[in-house]
Amino acid sequence: MNTIEQQLWDYIDGNLDEIQRKNIEEKIESNAAVKLQYEELLNLNFAFSEMELDEPSMSFTRNVMENVALEPAPVSLKTRVDTRIIFSIGAFFVISILGLLGYILYNSTFTLPNFGKYFTADFNLDKYITPTAMYVFIGLDIIIGLIFMDYVLRRKLNHKD
Amino acid sequence: MKQELTDLELIQNVLTGETSQYALLVKRHQRFVFTLALRFAKNREDAEEIAQDCFIKAYKALGTFKQTAKFSTWLYTITYTTAMTFLRKKRLDTSSISDEDTFLQLENHTSAFNANIYEQQNSHAFLNEAIKHLMPDDAAIITMFYKGEQSLEEIGVALNREPNTIKVKLHRARLRLKEKLQFLLKDEVKELL
Repeated sequence: MNTIEQQLWDYIDGNLDEIQRKNIEEKIESNAAVKLQYEELLNLNFAFSEMELDEPSMSFTRNVMENVALEPAPVSLKTRVDTRIIFSIGAFFVISILGLLGYILYNSTFTLPNFGKYFTADFNLDKYITPTAMYVFIGLDIIIGLIFMDYVLRRKLNHKD
Repeated sequence: MKQELTDLELIQNVLTGETSQYALLVKRHQRFVFTLALRFAKNREDAEEIAQDCFIKAYKALGTFKQTAKFSTWLYTITYTTAMTFLRKKRLDTSSISDEDTFLQLENHTSAFNANIYEQQNSHAFLNEAIKHLMPDDAAIITMFYKGEQSLEEIGVALNREPNTIKVKLHRARLRLKEKLQFLLKDEVKELL
């Protein structure tokens, strides 16, 4: 659905890119019928933006506040969950796991007498580090960096709003 | 000159115990929430009930409000879901009503509408009457876009739809509204708009 009317609405709403915008501006200038339609839509748009909001009853706010008074006061979830408790629980588990691991290693008699005989690995990385591989690696890094930057900027923008 | 507190500042105050400040938030948004509710309910009593319910729900859930988005968008999401639940309940309640009653109700509504048209000869009244005759979703999208200062993305969040779907729906809603206005005003539409 991409009729001239749809394009004109998009133009009025400011949803067109530079090329589309110039294209529709040319059509408005050159075609009298399109110009007439544009002016009509512009008037409609103005009328829509001038629509009046309805007013609730005079006691609306009072009624809401009376109902709200019966509810427990809201508390921010951030303050409700104390981060110190979370960190304490985390620290407890980490210390427990490390302690257990240490105890096991201290009491074990684990040896690998002929380890080198069975396990030989030749990591010849030079053949993998080619210029193409490096370009791919750097390219991926840039993409990840841009995604992260976009995420950070969006968050900042939302905070401003 | 005392500067007006923003929505987020008022929310912070409410969350830190100044619950009376919630009244300021209600006063600030009540007209829009009520209008939006009216788009679904079609009568003032039901709309007021929906709007009140919406503000109470918002108050209860204020602690979960992620302050990265606009409060108004979050509030309109609650209004939309509350209105939908209300309509579903209402549909179930009215399913037992006989056709005769429904017909009478519709006839009264139409005559009241006609009377209203002749009483209020101005473009705003005609526009509001035309909006009342749109589908609830169309009316809500038009209202949010023009009076709620919401972007297509934000309307999408509130109505749980993709921004592109909202864009198409907005276009169709405007077309329908134009048709309704032309039907109501006949040739006068160009003079009035």
